[in-house]
Amino acid sequence: MKQTPDIKPIATALLVAPAAILMFGVFILPFLFLVVLSFWSQAPGSVGMTPSFTLANYARIIGDSYYLGGLWTTLWLSGLVTLLCLVLALPLARWIVLHAKRSKGLLIGLCILPLVCGALLPTLGLVNLLSPLGFINGALKSMGLIKTSLPLLGNIAGVSIGLVQAFLPLMILPLISTIERIPHDYEKAAMSLGATRLVVWRRVLLPLMLPGIVAGSLLVFCASLTAFVTPQILGQGKVVTFASLAYQQAAMVLDWPFASALGMVMLLFLALAGLVGALVSRGLGRRT
Amino acid sequence: MTSRFGKAMLLAAVLAILLFLLAPILVLILSAFDSGNVFRFPPKGLSLRWFETAFNHAEYRSSLWISTVLGLLSTAIAVGLASLAAFGLVRGKPSYRLAMEVLLLAPLTLPLVVWAIALLSIYAQLGINGTLLGLILAHVTITMPFAARIMIATFDEIDPNLEAAAKSLGASPWQVVRRITLPLALPGLLSSTAIAFLVSFNDVVVTTLIAGAGWITFPVRTFSRLRTEGIDPTTIAIGAMIVAFTILVIVLGQRLFQLSRRL
Repeated sequence: MKQTPDIKPIATALLVAPAAILMFGVFILPFLFLVVLSFWSQAPGSVGMTPSFTLANYARIIGDSYYLGGLWTTLWLSGLVTLLCLVLALPLARWIVLHAKRSKGLLIGLCILPLVCGALLPTLGLVNLLSPLGFINGALKSMGLIKTSLPLLGNIAGVSIGLVQAFLPLMILPLISTIERIPHDYEKAAMSLGATRLVVWRRVLLPLMLPGIVAGSLLVFCASLTAFVTPQILGQGKVVTFASLAYQQAAMVLDWPFASALGMVMLLFLALAGLVGALVSRGLGRRT
Repeated sequence: MTSRFGKAMLLAAVLAILLFLLAPILVLILSAFDSGNVFRFPPKGLSLRWFETAFNHAEYRSSLWISTVLGLLSTAIAVGLASLAAFGLVRGKPSYRLAMEVLLLAPLTLPLVVWAIALLSIYAQLGINGTLLGLILAHVTITMPFAARIMIATFDEIDPNLEAAAKSLGASPWQVVRRITLPLALPGLLSSTAIAFLVSFNDVVVTTLIAGAGWITFPVRTFSRLRTEGIDPTTIAIGAMIVAFTILVIVLGQRLFQLSRRL
């Protein structure tokens, strides 16, 4: 059935145009410019960029173990954060859908709180939570469980905790919307046919939740891969992530062509992650 | 028996996960009342002195003011443009609806830090680096997807027959918009305004790259302080107030117009 529009095509175009033009000009065009810029060069110590075609920026990334090391750390850290978010978000999202009745909306509202508070404010709280004198170490010491403070800041542990906390909502929201679409009867039907809890999860629930799992994982992976505020503060300069390297080049060294090349490398890995996500979804679509 | 035990375990796990999610925000609020220069747990004493310093601190006051002005202007523009576009897409049903939705929601999926690096060099070429115009353009862009998503969901839920009925009863197009469409879209408009303002007000990722020296927002000032001098308790007090305000907006929004329904 073809739906008939309620307003004229020309009016539609006029209504949509301002937002579309703005988003294309201010958001999409810079990405295209980034591609060009990553091949430009800049003489050391100057801020003037030279339009040219050089692969020097990319060669510098590939040839330097500092950048490659940062990339490697960032990749496995993002993988770890994605996995932890999935493990924490699954029971919470399922519980909110199945058991939270009247408080559901409020719970979802609380879940998006870290998202709308920005990257900075929760991180401030995390510093006081994780520092040697902070909440966790203080509580453990006063209970007599530890004598010396656990190192939770300035290492991978602190950065992972911060990233999981910051990006958990990105996993919870897509999971809630997929779980909401699974009919309750499916689980009961499988159980009544003699399936154990484990089998129900493996053969019925997880496959049905997979679109949400893939979407959430992609969002969390991409957000972790490009995060720099949380890693810089909780890592206290000791954990070098790729996005913080790019940030330093763009905001402090002011070598924009090189920063653009670092950005391009991030985009490449995001595209790869997206491809893997698409393949997983498609592979599953064929099987069911 | 085992099922009841299992349920209790599940509930405990869910509460623990929720606590983990909200712990940093709770600790931020708690530590604002700590009387020491450095937060330590258990606290030595409670005081309001950091709130007092916060209100007397000219530098923070001006950056809070900048954040507020920037947030209000960007939110007004983003919600306005997003509402027009969402109304056009939902009522006009153009063949390019999906493509436009992807374009309007793009900042949710593409990395903002990479975009900000490119924007910084474009702004430098255009000579609008560190200007209010540059900041507003950037903030409208990062708040647009939130506003657009909520407004598209809002107009999708409004029955077009109500507008058609008003029109057939002799209402002018302007009367239809003012008396039928706008009142029905009000919860969505308020939701998108609240979310867009919070996102703009609290943004640090994009703003810290393009803010320049003239328009330092509160998050940007705090972030640069944090990297050079560590935590300033005054920041904690202001942060706690911002977080409390954010929680208030979300809870009130949920109560009054079911904010989370259209997210």
